[in-house]
Amino acid sequence: MFWAYVPYMLAGVLWTFALVGGGLGLGFLIGLPIAIGQVYGGRVVKAFLDVYVWFFRGVPLLVLLFLFYWGVFPALGHKLPALEASIIVLGLRSGAYQSQIFRGAIESVGEGQMVAARSLGMSRVSAILHIILPQALRIAIPGWTNEYAILLKDSAICFTLGVLEILTRTRYVVIATGEALLPYITAGFLFIFLTYGGTKVFNVIYEKTRIPGLVWRM
Amino acid sequence: MDVVLRAEDIHKSYGKTKVLKGVSFEVGRGETKVICGPSGAGKSTLLRCLNLLTRPDKGRVWLEDVELTSPSVNINKMRQKIGFVFQEFNLFNHLTALDNVMIGLTKVKKLPKDEARRIAKEALLTVHITEDLWNKYPAQLSGGQKQRVAIARALAMDPVIILYDEPTSALDPHLIGEVLEVMKELARRKVTGLVVTHEIGFALSVADEIMFMYNGRIVERGPPKEVVFNPKHEVTARFFKRISELYGGRK
Amino acid sequence: MSFWEEFFPALLSGFTETLAILAVAIPVSIAWGVVLGSARVYGNRLVSLIAAGIVGLFRGFPLVVTLLILFFGLPELGIYIPPFWTAVLAFILCSGAYQSEYVRGAIRSIDVGQSLAARALGMSKAQELLYVILPQAFRRALPGISNEIIYMIKYSSLAYIVGVTEMFSVSKRFNSLYFRPVEIFFTAAIIYLAMTTAATIGFKLLESKLRIPGLEVEV
Repeated sequence: MFWAYVPYMLAGVLWTFALVGGGLGLGFLIGLPIAIGQVYGGRVVKAFLDVYVWFFRGVPLLVLLFLFYWGVFPALGHKLPALEASIIVLGLRSGAYQSQIFRGAIESVGEGQMVAARSLGMSRVSAILHIILPQALRIAIPGWTNEYAILLKDSAICFTLGVLEILTRTRYVVIATGEALLPYITAGFLFIFLTYGGTKVFNVIYEKTRIPGLVWRM
Repeated sequence: MDVVLRAEDIHKSYGKTKVLKGVSFEVGRGETKVICGPSGAGKSTLLRCLNLLTRPDKGRVWLEDVELTSPSVNINKMRQKIGFVFQEFNLFNHLTALDNVMIGLTKVKKLPKDEARRIAKEALLTVHITEDLWNKYPAQLSGGQKQRVAIARALAMDPVIILYDEPTSALDPHLIGEVLEVMKELARRKVTGLVVTHEIGFALSVADEIMFMYNGRIVERGPPKEVVFNPKHEVTARFFKRISELYGGRK
Repeated sequence: MSFWEEFFPALLSGFTETLAILAVAIPVSIAWGVVLGSARVYGNRLVSLIAAGIVGLFRGFPLVVTLLILFFGLPELGIYIPPFWTAVLAFILCSGAYQSEYVRGAIRSIDVGQSLAARALGMSKAQELLYVILPQAFRRALPGISNEIIYMIKYSSLAYIVGVTEMFSVSKRFNSLYFRPVEIFFTAAIIYLAMTTAATIGFKLLESKLRIPGLEVEV
């Protein structure tokens, strides 16, 4: 009985990936500039960024989802659909976490690299773009992989807004079949599988971008 | 002669490398014996085989009349009677000097705290660690102080023999003396000891016997002055040649 | 009665419930994390394998899923416990698994000489773990553990799913009644923020209290 619904559950992977991919992507676009700002920015900029990071890391995802979906977005005039709203919230939050990953990576690239670049006549911006970031981004891959795993599991919380990802569908299957344990356990293993698979992919990327002879300590 | 420690035909290999190729010897009560030899000769491995920190592949070890290598022996109980002083001190980092010496007494020997404290303080004073250092943590002590506390830790357990694994090799030169002094005092007091060391001067002044190890075997043994100044074997001679040049002609 | 006059007391009782969840889940999860982490390093083949399996399972399942499995699964096994304890159990199992990884890493980072010295004194493996290794490993694992506890404070909000009337549940209820989402959820957000901030400061204080003079926590 339950097994007939598995395709329906599996289709949820698409929404889950939308959430995770969107969240990671948006988080990257927010997190990297924040990291650069926190390392190279002035006091005012840093203070503002620190507050952002503090807020989005200190408030539960559940509260953020409801705050934005029911409150902020409608108040701004756009009542976004659940999926889009979730992606944005996940992205804002992931950006806060990713900023710390990138910040650590940038800081571990080392003063010396920046100094050398400047002494060649590079501007700060150029040095950051061509010397610091390429190295920092590679250093950040393990931390980023971890963020993927976290985001994947957090995406399940979006069922509270009704997004048709894996868990929401699982719940509907539970209601439809009257069985609870089997669907939920299946969902659990599906998440494990996705985590494992994704992590493997990132590990391959990390290996392939390795610079021979160079070992980083983060 | 009351034999305290006996090793019989000890063999040990690590992978393809044979480190100990049949080592046998005895240490009598009250004696201080020294093992020396070039690096890689297997000295540290031998010492660790004696209290079973490393299990020998072949051979047997006796402590007084108990065979340590027998499978039925309670090794933890027997280890209480063997003191071990490490090259890297290995003081417990989260405990003060006094607590380091006390912990074996309270947790292993299950002595009441007051008695343990009394014994620990005595041991610390024996190694010249004064009261102002008792509440310091290992990270706050100098190398020489750490090693002396380590000796006190071993001594406090009232062992029948103390094994020293290159006790001064990790020390800065100016700190070596204070540790050797303590070891010499213990030797004079007839605290049974087996010392792996490069400090030939120590051996010459207090050891009852030197055993020269080369390539996994004890090549030569005898009273220090004989082995050092009148060695019978080529390899022994080569090793001690420099020492002769330094000490030769002296008492 | 104005909205706020009704909301605040309700929120306060929700806050109390949240604290109750955490008061149990935090210490027990830390203890469980230490046990699991130690079992993986010091246990025999079988124990170590089982521990690894437990850790893999509860780290791999999203917390929500674990929560739902316990909520629906336990009754099927004939075990009936109130939602509060179901939620607490889920938090302990999930967070404990994550914490055990920090503990395991910390234990393995302790210099092997400490073990050797303990054994040379005649300590058994258990004594070595309890008196020498764990006191040092716990200090090293504390930053990671405190990180997980901060997460737990936030994830406690998920308890509403199984019907626990903690802070988020109260907020949600009030929003359905009064529909003032920005005020309601932002207030809740601030309170959670205060909790996580207080916990962060608290743990920093704890870390400095436990510091051994001269000993750096890092390897």
